[in-house]
Amino acid sequence: MRKAIAVLFLGFIGYYLLSTFLLVPFGVVRVLEGVGLKYLQDGLQQTGAANLVTSIVVNYRGFDTLGEVTVLFLAATGMGALLYSKRPTERARQNASVIVKTGARILFPLIIILGAYVFIHGHLTPGGGFQGGAIIASGFLLMFMSYRTYHVNHVILSRVESSAGSVFVIIGLLGLAYGSSFLANILPLGTANTLFSAGVIPLIYVAVGFKVGAELTALLDTMLQTVK
Amino acid sequence: MIYYVAAISLILIGIYAVLVKKNMIKIVLGLTLIDSGVNILLVSLGYVKDKTAPIFSNPTLTAGDMVDPVPQALVLTAIVIGVAVTALALSIVIRIYDHHKTLNINKIRELKW
Amino acid sequence: MYLDPVLMIALPLFAAFLIPPLARISKGLVKYVPVLIIGFNLYETVMLLPHSMVKPVIVIIAAWAPPLGINLTIGPLGNVLALIISLVGFVVAVYNIRFVEEEPNEKYHMLFLLLTAGATGMVLTGDIFNLFVFLEITSISSYALTAFLRDRDGAEAAFKYLLIGSMASTFILLGIALIYATTGTLNMAQIAVRLKDVDPRIAIMALILLITGFGIEAEMFPLNGWAPDAYSQAPTPIGAAFGGIVVKAGVYALARLIYTIFSFQGIFHFILIAGIITLLIAEMSAIRQKQLKRMLAFSSIGQMGLVLIALGLATTRGVEGGLFQMFNHAMIKPLLFLSAGYLVFYSGSKNIEDMDGMGRVKPLLSFFFAFGAFAILGLPPLSGFWSKFIILSETISHGFIAVATLALFGSIIEAVYYLRVVGRLYFKAPHDGAKVQYVPKSALVAMSILALITLVTGLYPDLVMTYLKPAAAELIDKSIYIKAVLSAGL
Repeated sequence: MRKAIAVLFLGFIGYYLLSTFLLVPFGVVRVLEGVGLKYLQDGLQQTGAANLVTSIVVNYRGFDTLGEVTVLFLAATGMGALLYSKRPTERARQNASVIVKTGARILFPLIIILGAYVFIHGHLTPGGGFQGGAIIASGFLLMFMSYRTYHVNHVILSRVESSAGSVFVIIGLLGLAYGSSFLANILPLGTANTLFSAGVIPLIYVAVGFKVGAELTALLDTMLQTVK
Repeated sequence: MIYYVAAISLILIGIYAVLVKKNMIKIVLGLTLIDSGVNILLVSLGYVKDKTAPIFSNPTLTAGDMVDPVPQALVLTAIVIGVAVTALALSIVIRIYDHHKTLNINKIRELKW
Repeated sequence: MYLDPVLMIALPLFAAFLIPPLARISKGLVKYVPVLIIGFNLYETVMLLPHSMVKPVIVIIAAWAPPLGINLTIGPLGNVLALIISLVGFVVAVYNIRFVEEEPNEKYHMLFLLLTAGATGMVLTGDIFNLFVFLEITSISSYALTAFLRDRDGAEAAFKYLLIGSMASTFILLGIALIYATTGTLNMAQIAVRLKDVDPRIAIMALILLITGFGIEAEMFPLNGWAPDAYSQAPTPIGAAFGGIVVKAGVYALARLIYTIFSFQGIFHFILIAGIITLLIAEMSAIRQKQLKRMLAFSSIGQMGLVLIALGLATTRGVEGGLFQMFNHAMIKPLLFLSAGYLVFYSGSKNIEDMDGMGRVKPLLSFFFAFGAFAILGLPPLSGFWSKFIILSETISHGFIAVATLALFGSIIEAVYYLRVVGRLYFKAPHDGAKVQYVPKSALVAMSILALITLVTGLYPDLVMTYLKPAAAELIDKSIYIKAVLSAGL
């Protein structure tokens, strides 16, 4: 009964959603004066970042990204608050085999380097702070899975989180103090497609990379600590 | 076209899980399915046929060769928000499990809808 | 003299990032951080008022003029709501100083600060996706705060709120996707201009999706299932913050949507009908509640129904009345919640029955509750009277006699259940076992501020109305808003 009602309801929603979206033509340029095209045309000169998605995420819509970083920070905080002083449930986590352990030990530094590479080159190649941070956290996840007793120092993680978040806001405030507005670029743009280009974008993305890496790792570790 | 159908089906499957499933973990999985559906939908809205990623990695590329970068930037934000909500949802589930020792929502729901 | 308004959002975020290191130095200091930061926001909003009343203040972010970059648009409406949010936030932060003993309390203060910052961002931003991001900040901190006490009911209420809230964000995101796909912009002013040329079928679908999404935050029927549980199971100050902050931001988003961005004629009637249904169902549920805080939660939904009716009228005077009602509700409902929190604490029970005779045991606390109850019922000359009077008279003069009658009926129900509680407080003998302890000074200060504001706005409603008139004008005549934003780029 419940299922039947749900299916009917979903059919109703699905029909209207789909019929509306089918009115939106797929795979063509629909709006000739949209902001998307403006970014494509002027983005490279205006921000100096070869990767336009990055220039939108960090520069044009940098305020969103500050909010986004805050959302992740909130999740880590909320999780810390909710799972505070929870007694670990008795459930043995198995030790991984020697092969996995050795492999993990070799891979771990490489994964961290890959993550760092991805966020440092966020303005040049696909990727950026969020992706790099996620890669770093996946490295830690590998370690958590292969070593039962592997733990990360929460104080250090929280320091990294706090200082990376503050760096983001401080760069923004410097823009306000020395430039025209909050988050405004105050550094020279440099030559596009070189590492030292795009003004403050790489700096912000490095901070975001550290912050996301630390936060996701903290999330994983908090979660794992509820199980003995 | 098929992208729209797939994305909307994903959203519907997710909503179905949230409405019908009794296990809280499955409900949270439903939420993540909805998120991915919306994200795929957003990205496919930005797609333009025969065009490439919006990165000037190669000097021959011009603005006319690229897809709309805005939906990709939005999806990045949406993904992060989805991760945050999922993490919080799981920790709430852990708390509820702690109190009731069950994940079945029928045995738990004392608060009326 | 005001500083750059972007600081109203940047500073709370900065402070929240710095709270963990501060907590390691001194835990005692953390609870003063929200007071300080939200106090700064309050100062800013007050200083901005004279400027925004004349002409919306446009704040450009990252040096890109709209529509390329995100901007803050602080018109009269945004300014007034930011003022309300900061005021309630400030009062609740003061109340928090001595209320929260639960560990880890630095996280509590952090979450509360971010909740206020998120709501402030929602009412100030001029970009629809940015609005969504701030909505998420607000609601994610609300989920975490609802479950903060880590008790059974709190966790369940939070889970339910989270499920409904994620649905809301899905719908909003889908709506934004449709809008972006057809107008190619995310700036609200530019969307408003371009939507005229969009296929109406797509525009209406986007509107439905967005209204569903924001209606959930604004407690619109039938999307308000989360509210009673979340209000009553969250820590008391958070219940107050839901009524004074979260819901206000949700209603702002709705108003901006139906007036500035879409402004289809048919939608106003829909909002009017949704409002009256919300009002009636909420009041009828409220009268059946046995728990004090649940009753207050349903009453809050009912009040929002009244606001929706006012917004659905789509006349200048009606919108003024609705905004005034929002202001009153934002001052009175936290007062009721904060005093109810201690009444519940001292009587040792959540039930209304156990409040007997608290008027004698805790005279000041009961006075605040009774005062709030009278004000929200609209006993002249308290402030609730003026807003209800404006809304009802406007409803009647536009020929919606049936709506006015039903709304009046709802108000009578409301009077019955509030007076029932007040009667119990004063005219019943106290139970034994009521704890007699003193109420912390910070809580009394917080409640006195709210009571004083209620009293003053009741005696001199024009003090508030001067600022609400331009705010209503901004909604009715959307060209003011659009022109201000789009000319900022030139």
